[in-house]
Parts: sequence; structure tokens; C-alpha cells
Amino acid sequence: MAGSTFSYEGTAIDAQDGDSVLLALLRSGRRPTEGGPLCLAGDCPNCLCTADGVSYVRACQTAATGVTDVAPHPTTGEPPLPPFDETAVDITVDRRQADVVVIGHGRSGTAAAEDARAEGRAVEVVDAGEGVEAIGIYVGPHVVARTPNGTREIHAESVVVATGSSEIQPVVPGSGLAGIYTPRAARTVLDAGIELGTIVAVGDVDDETLSAASLDGVVAGELVRFEPAAGSSNVGAVVTKTADGEIATPCDTVIVGLGRAPRDMLARMAGPGEATIVGSAATAAPLPQCPNDGVVCPCSNVTMQQLDDVYDRGFTHIELLKRSTLAGTGTCQGGVCLPYLRSFLADRGESIQPAFTARPVARQLTLAEIGAGAHTSTAARTALDGLHRKLGAQMDRMGGWWRPWTYGDPDAEYAAVREAVSLCDVSTLGLMTISGPDAEATLQRLYPTDVSTIRAGRSRYVLMLDERGYVFDDGMIARRDDGTFLLTFTSGGASMAEMWIRDWSAGWGHDIRLLNQTFSTGAINVTGPRATELLTRAGITDPPPWLGHGKYEVAGIPCTIFRLSFTGEVSYELHHPLERSVELWNALSELGADLGCRPHGLETLLRLRLEKGHIIVGQDTDYDSTPRRLRHEWAVNFNSGEFIGRHAVLRTDRIPLDKQLLGLRFDGPPPIEGAVIWSGDEYAGAITSAAWSPSVEAGIALAWVYEVDGGFPTEVRATGPDGEPITGTVTSLPFFDPEGARARA
Amino acid sequence: MNEFWEAKVKLRWAELADSYDVVVIGGGGHGLSTAYHLALRHGITKVAVIEKSYIGGGNSGRNTTVIRANYGIPEAVRFYQRSLELYENLEAETDRWIMHRVGGNWWLVHTEAGRRTEQARAAVNQAFGAKTDFVEPEVIAREIPGINMNPLGQFPVMGASLHHGGATARHDRVNWALAEGAMRAGVDIVQDVEVTGINTSGGKVVGVETTAGPIATETVVSAVGGHATRMADMVGVRLPIRTHPLQAFVTNHYERKFDPIIASADLGFYVSQTARGEMLGGAHIDPEPSYSRRAGHHFVNSIARNMVALFPFMSGLRVLRQWTGTCDMSPDYTPVMGVTPVNGFLITTGWGTWGFKAIPAGGEAMAQLIATGETPELIAPFALDRFARDRTLADRSSSGTH
Repeated sequence: MAGSTFSYEGTAIDAQDGDSVLLALLRSGRRPTEGGPLCLAGDCPNCLCTADGVSYVRACQTAATGVTDVAPHPTTGEPPLPPFDETAVDITVDRRQADVVVIGHGRSGTAAAEDARAEGRAVEVVDAGEGVEAIGIYVGPHVVARTPNGTREIHAESVVVATGSSEIQPVVPGSGLAGIYTPRAARTVLDAGIELGTIVAVGDVDDETLSAASLDGVVAGELVRFEPAAGSSNVGAVVTKTADGEIATPCDTVIVGLGRAPRDMLARMAGPGEATIVGSAATAAPLPQCPNDGVVCPCSNVTMQQLDDVYDRGFTHIELLKRSTLAGTGTCQGGVCLPYLRSFLADRGESIQPAFTARPVARQLTLAEIGAGAHTSTAARTALDGLHRKLGAQMDRMGGWWRPWTYGDPDAEYAAVREAVSLCDVSTLGLMTISGPDAEATLQRLYPTDVSTIRAGRSRYVLMLDERGYVFDDGMIARRDDGTFLLTFTSGGASMAEMWIRDWSAGWGHDIRLLNQTFSTGAINVTGPRATELLTRAGITDPPPWLGHGKYEVAGIPCTIFRLSFTGEVSYELHHPLERSVELWNALSELGADLGCRPHGLETLLRLRLEKGHIIVGQDTDYDSTPRRLRHEWAVNFNSGEFIGRHAVLRTDRIPLDKQLLGLRFDGPPPIEGAVIWSGDEYAGAITSAAWSPSVEAGIALAWVYEVDGGFPTEVRATGPDGEPITGTVTSLPFFDPEGARARA
Repeated sequence: MNEFWEAKVKLRWAELADSYDVVVIGGGGHGLSTAYHLALRHGITKVAVIEKSYIGGGNSGRNTTVIRANYGIPEAVRFYQRSLELYENLEAETDRWIMHRVGGNWWLVHTEAGRRTEQARAAVNQAFGAKTDFVEPEVIAREIPGINMNPLGQFPVMGASLHHGGATARHDRVNWALAEGAMRAGVDIVQDVEVTGINTSGGKVVGVETTAGPIATETVVSAVGGHATRMADMVGVRLPIRTHPLQAFVTNHYERKFDPIIASADLGFYVSQTARGEMLGGAHIDPEPSYSRRAGHHFVNSIARNMVALFPFMSGLRVLRQWTGTCDMSPDYTPVMGVTPVNGFLITTGWGTWGFKAIPAGGEAMAQLIATGETPELIAPFALDRFARDRTLADRSSSGTH
């Protein structure tokens, strides 16, 4: 006979075809837990084992094939955590779609599946007994199941829950002994040809099981307790109560029939209208009799005495009963104890309480299994990403993009910008084109600036305000012609801005066309005192003037060139078709090689812009940054009519100013970004950006500076990078080249 | 018998009287803590706590039990540090075991911007009394068992802020210890009673209507979670609160030997091992407002993947149960506490994802406000009128779940 073998505590266990791990163990005279009734249906915790390193596996629900190493569940304490050096495993996900998912392949499930198929509907049936164990019905409905080699996810229109019923397990003294079976479990074990010794039956056991067990009948009376066989954890006798008193019947195995409870957890966790429940899962069952003694929750080892105890101390609600004893919070999720908790409360005179809320997971699966197939949130990459990596750049994620932090020599990168010419990949900038009859009207109301005064071919720095008057993005508006504008946004700000513009303009009833080109356009910033020279070499003899822009061909590549500056040096932003980014970059690098051209990364860019006092929205701003607090009142024009945030800005401008973003200068290296600053002993704010400035030869910073004692301090104290106190002086911005002569050169 | 059952607390349920000095709506942590501190610190015991379901059944019993003070603004650091210290003493004070355990809260960063954020957090924490240091990757690799320093190949661990006082406690036990203490001091706590209306006269609270009849009172504290806006609506007070679900899960129980409380904003989760040995994972809030407490698959799917990526040894841990709480988010991610334009109607809300850790200090401050009639300095910045006064307390990066 074919079969398989697994190892159990150093012994090879032979399993027959179709055996679960539990059946194979029982065949060899073993079981993975010390005792407790077995249900062989996954409803209880009494056959838990550790299978191939995974604890809390129900041996009855696990096929013996494919398992190589099984260990018993610890009798005391909890299973160990896996070794910290354990590596992750790969799990496959089988994704399917169906009209109907039927959970349970018994009589009702089979009928439901046939009916649905007869109606021409696509049906998926899952059944734990066939190795596909449903663990949850999620919003959708969306059924997730564990399979022998991974997980299955099925999206469906509807779900039929035909999970049948579970068998009520005995709760009496001695119910933790081995050798106790529910009727169905006994049938399965007997059908498998496993020898169970002297078998007796108690309670309501069906005739088929009785005959399979070759019993003449049932032990009379009501179950009172189980007694162990001498020196054993196996049952030796079952004691029942009859009219004549207690009777002890010796035995090796007891089959206990106490009725059933609907196995409806999956149906209860489904949303309204998502699942239909059929068959015995849908049949209400009488609550079992309230026990007097014994362990009611085998997972958390809760006794009836404990239920009594907490109940008497005021834990009278079923949820409080559960939370105070932890009954129902273990592996079987109330499979054993829930009917008894309800009958206990009814017995104490409380109204019949509903079952506790059903939540995934109905059956356990590993973190690797439930995490299988998830997508990794990833940062976007520009067309130049591979090139940066080839150049040895240290890449960092910022604003939702991978960007070069440095190419390995920040000092040389800085020098190239200040003294020669440098390239920077700015493809990450948000970029949109807006046109249509109402484009200008939309912009006029979106931005706190008078858009009508931006002439064709010109551009202007703008803030984006929310309704509360707080700055949430900044960028440029450039007018291409009468009705067409280019808009730029911060890297990472474009998707929010797109929603913002579309929602508002729709609300205003404006007729606009908005094209978000952030992901379809590349941009390279050519910056430095020799930037113009480099462009000349690339064929541009009439570059746009300061704050101008226009269409050009650079080294044969069509570009829109913006003349603006974030670095403080002459800068041309070359926006171009994405697919030509590498070609453009390489052409510029080659043409500029003897001019000292080299690329610079974010680290250098952040230093350069700080020297110019340019803010970075998100780093230097917070969710309460009004233009006044940012000292950007110059970017708000109240004469431009209605704009978003106008009323909030007007209102808050009348409230005394409590803090502002100011420049600080330190003689030596500045404090770290985030450092707290003090004025005397008073808290005076925190630093948002800081760097050593080679050009002004000082530590420079932007900081939120608070009003202290009725005024704003002009000198603040902070902790320096080496832990020593240092003094910063409030300084006007920008730190370097205040006239902006270099950028306009 | 398991050692974790509640063996001591004795709850004595009351019948509602006709009138009280103070009616607290909501028998969650904040409501119970307010009543507890009213009774024990100020001798005000004619107090009713009205709970529509069972005590601690809302977010107080559905959170991820982390206690920490590593916030990003001075006002919050001071407040949560007070709460953290009260928590450290709560077992001794109530003589009840709340399973309090200090594990240290490590907030991992994976970018240069993240380093800046966590350095800033450490700096403001140190300045205002919370013990937090920025630590470099080598310390993390050495101290955190089983960590993969480059999960998914694109989230290199580039440092962390280590909040030494970060702790956990069993949420239910906190609620019960406070309830019992309040009950013993004479506070009436009722379950399964719902407040259906708040009566005012001349801009002052005069009583509440409940499913168990009317109650006269001049002071009402709304300490409800999830439905704070509906409660405030009853007296015409508008709250800038939106309610979002937040999801979490636990694994089965394992031997306890993973001490740190780990959070990673980039990977979108936090994880700690509870005193009972479950590995507890939590996530971001859901982006859409909802009162739904339904558990989602997308959440557990992505969190589990990221968790296994950061801690490969957790692959084989088995997920036991998912659940969902609801978070009352304020616009600036800071609580809203204190008086309202309606005389006698007080609120404690906006507890977002930080309500559990604030239970002791929140109740202490609300009780002090009621007893003295003056808003304690510790919570003065959290006043509702800060939105109108343009004194919001932006602290988004500290919430841990965004």
C-alpha cells in the first residue's frame, strides 16, 4: 500500500493514503496532546501539534502526506518562538473568480453547488476535508482559504456557507483525559481500522456509530465525570448518574454524544447580503446543559469554577466573561466553550446572549500564508534611475520617488554647481498642463496670486493653500499662451494636487482640460555659472530669460526650458519626453565634460536651496503653516479676487503671530535637523533644516521660532552636533547672495 | 488554570439615581478614568458613568495596548509623559495587575527624511522629559532579535528613535482596575444604558435623557469613542472629528522572548509580543472614514508580508484573530479636551490612535477641570477653541499609524 512517513519525536510514523496526521498518530498509538476529547473536525484544540516548525497546527486537519516532522504541542507553557535566524518561506497564492463560492462539500454544500451550476453560474467549492480550509470571508465577498501548498483567494458574487455543525464536547471533571471521542470522530477512527479497546457510549450517539463501534447500547444516565485508568492519562471509566445513583463503567474509549452546535462562524463574519447559510450550519441548536465542573475552555484552560468566580465578581456580560477568563480567545475561537458560556449565563438567569462577534480568521494560517501575494508598496523611478545607479549614486526614497542622495562626493557636487555646471534629475517634479476656456479662471481661484498678470512665456512661484489657509504645496505657474498653462508641484505632491484641482474646478462648473504629465515627462536641471555656456554648446543660443520659458531643441531633443533657480545659480530646467532622458543626460554630460560638469544629488541640492532660504513643503512646513508664519506673505495677493484660503488667511492674520519660520546662523556646525531651540529657559521652537554652508562659512538653519515673552527672540540656544550648547542668531534670508545676482546672471 | 485570568477585580453594578453631580457618557478608559480621578483625587462621588454596551467594549478594549510618550510637539510629549508615569504607578495604586511591561519603542526609519523625522522626535522628547534617543543601524542590528536590516530590498533600516519608556499593558485590566476603584469609592456605573439626549436650559446643561430614564445633572462629560460627534450634536456643538477604522491582529501564543515594541511608518505596521505571548500587529488607519468594525483582508495581507520581510522568523507564527477599532481623528492629530461653548458640557475626544496611552492622564486632567472649574495647564493647549484661535497642534508624524 502506498503511504507516507513523517517523524514524530524521533520515531518514523507510517501513514496510510488519505490519513491526516492525527489518524496516522492514532494508528501508532500516539496523540499530539496529552488528552481531551477528539472531534476530528477542526473544532477543538485537542489535537494541536507542531508540524514542520509551525505550532498550533490541528493534526486532524492536516494531511500526513507532505509533512515531514511533527512534534507534540507542549503540555505546559506555550510553544517556543521560532529561532530568530529562521528564514522566510515563499508561499504561492492561487487567485480565482467565481459567481458562487460554496464553503463545505457535505450534503447541503453539494446541493447548493449543483443548484448554482444548474443556473449556469460558475461555482468554486472549498472544503477543509479536501485540503482547502476557508479561513475568512472578507469584504467583497472574498473568500480566503488555506491549501496544502499555499493559499487560495476567491472573489465571488456570493458565498454559500455549508459548514455543517460542530459536536458539543463534554465539560466535566476528567474531560481532559485521552480516549474520549465525539460520535463523528469515533466513526472516522473506527472506519480507519484503528483499535480503540473497550468502547462505551454516553448520551446521544447515532446507531451507525454504535454499530461501527460494535456496541450493544449506550451507558445509561447523565455524564458526570471521566476517571483515569490507573497511572495513565487515558480514561479508565466513565461515571454517569442514573436514578439509582452514580455508575462507573470501565472502558478504554468513550464516545460522548451531546448534540451539535451550528458551525456558523464564517457566515457570521460575512457582511450583509454576502453569504447564505444552508444546512445544519443554519439550524439553531438548543444550548447544552450548563456544566457544574470541569474545564470549559481547553485553549485557555478555563474552569467552570473560574466562570462562577468572575460572574460573582460582576463580569456578567458575555464579553466580560470572555475577556476576564480568556475563555474563547484561544485557537478554537470558542468552538468548544461558546455554547457553554451562553448556557452558563442563561443558567444564572441572564437573558440568552448572542455569540461573540465572529472575526477572521476562522481557522489559523501562518503570517507567511496570510501575507502571501501582497504587493510591495514601491517608490517610482525616473527614466534616469538606472543611469544614477550605474554612476554609483546612493539612492534614497523621497516624496514617493527613488532619487540620488549623493554620487559619492558631495563636496565636489556642491563645487560643480557653485563653480562650474552640474546636472540634477528633477523628473520627479509634479508637472501638469491645464487648458480649456476656464483654465485661467480656475487658476485664479486656486492660487493666491493674480494669474492674469503672468504673461505668455513667463512664470511665477506660487503657494497652494487649503481652506484653512495652510500651505500644502508650492510650485510654478507658467503661461504658455492665452489659454494654456504649465503647472509644477513638489515631488510627491502631484497626485494630491490633481485631485485638488479637479474637485474644485468641477465644483465651480469650470470647463478645463488637465493633463498630469508627472510620469510622462523627464526633467533635467542644468545649473551653475557655466550652465548657459553648456546650453550654447547644445545649440541654444537664445535661452529664456530669468523666469521665462519656451520650447527648444537641445542636442536634437525637443525640450521646454524653464529659467528659474532653486540652487541659487543660473538654472535651466529641461523638460523633455521621458524616453529621451538618457540621451539628453548623456549629451549634456559629454558636452559639459571639459566645463567640469558632474551630477549632484539631493544632499547637495538641499544644502544649496537652504543657502537660498527656499522652503521645502513638508520638511519646513507643518499642518498649520500659513503664509504669514512662513514669512511668505509676498506670495499672497489679496487683490486677485477670491481664492481658496483667502478668508482663513485674512482671519488668522488678525490673530497675534505665535511663531514663524526664520533663518538662523551659527558660527560653527549647526544643530541637527529637529533640534529644539531655547530663548533663555523658554522653549523657542525647533529646527526644520540645517546644514553647513561652504559659501557663507557658517552653520545655517531654518527654524520655527516661537514668540517668547511678547516678542520673537533674536538669539537662540541649541545643542550642537557634539552635545555642546551653541548660539544661533536670527538672520535675514537668504543666507547667500541676497540680491539673487548669481541666479539671474 | 491559566495565570492570566482576572482573579481579583470586583465590579459592583449600580442602579441609576435621579440626579448626579457629574454624568460621564461612555464607560471606556477615558470615562472610567475621569470618574476614578473625580472620586479618588477630589472626593466627588455623586458620579454616574453610563455605558451603552459593556465597559471597555469600544476602542478601550480594541486597541493595540502600546503606551508611549514619544510625540512630536512639546504639549503632547508633556501630556503623554505624565500618562506614561501614571501608568507605571497604576498597579501599585489600584493593587491590580494590568500586565504593565516596559519594552522600549523602536521607531525604524528607512530613508534620509525618516532619519530627520526621528532625530527631531528624539530631540523634542528629551527636551520635554521623555527618554528617547536616536540610534544608528548597528545598534538596531545588535539589539533587535531576528531583524532583517534590508527588508524587501528597498527598505534599508537606516536608524531608529528608541523610546526607552515605551510599554504595553492589558487594555481590559486597565479599564477594570479604574472601574473597580471608582465603584468602590461610590461612583455608579451602568451598562446597557444609552444616552438619548442632553437637556440644556439657557446654554447650560441641566440633565440627560437615557434609555433608563432622565437624570438631572449640571455637568456632562462626553467620553464616548466613535460617536463623539453625534453626542456633541445633541447640544449643538460641532466637533472637527472624523472617525476611521484601524485594524489589528494577534497571532497564537508563544513563549515570551521578544521584548521590543517595533514600529515602521514606511512598512506601515507596528508589532510587539504581549505578556500572554501573542505577537500583536497593527496598521495604519483606513483612509476612508467609517464606523465599520469589519476586518479587512488587504490590511492583514500587506502587514503580514511586511512583518515577515522585517522579521523572517515570524513566518511560521499563526494568525489567530483580526479585529478593528475606530479612531476619532482630529485635524491636527492631537486630542480635543475640556470645555465647550455649552456650559456644563465637557468633552474628551479626538483620541485617534493614541487614546489608550492617554487614559490615566486624560482622566486625571478632566477630573481636575471638573473639580476646580479651571482647565489644567497640561491640557489647556488641547482645547476645542484652538481651531478657531489658529492654535492647532500639528503632530501628524507621531501618531504612528499614518
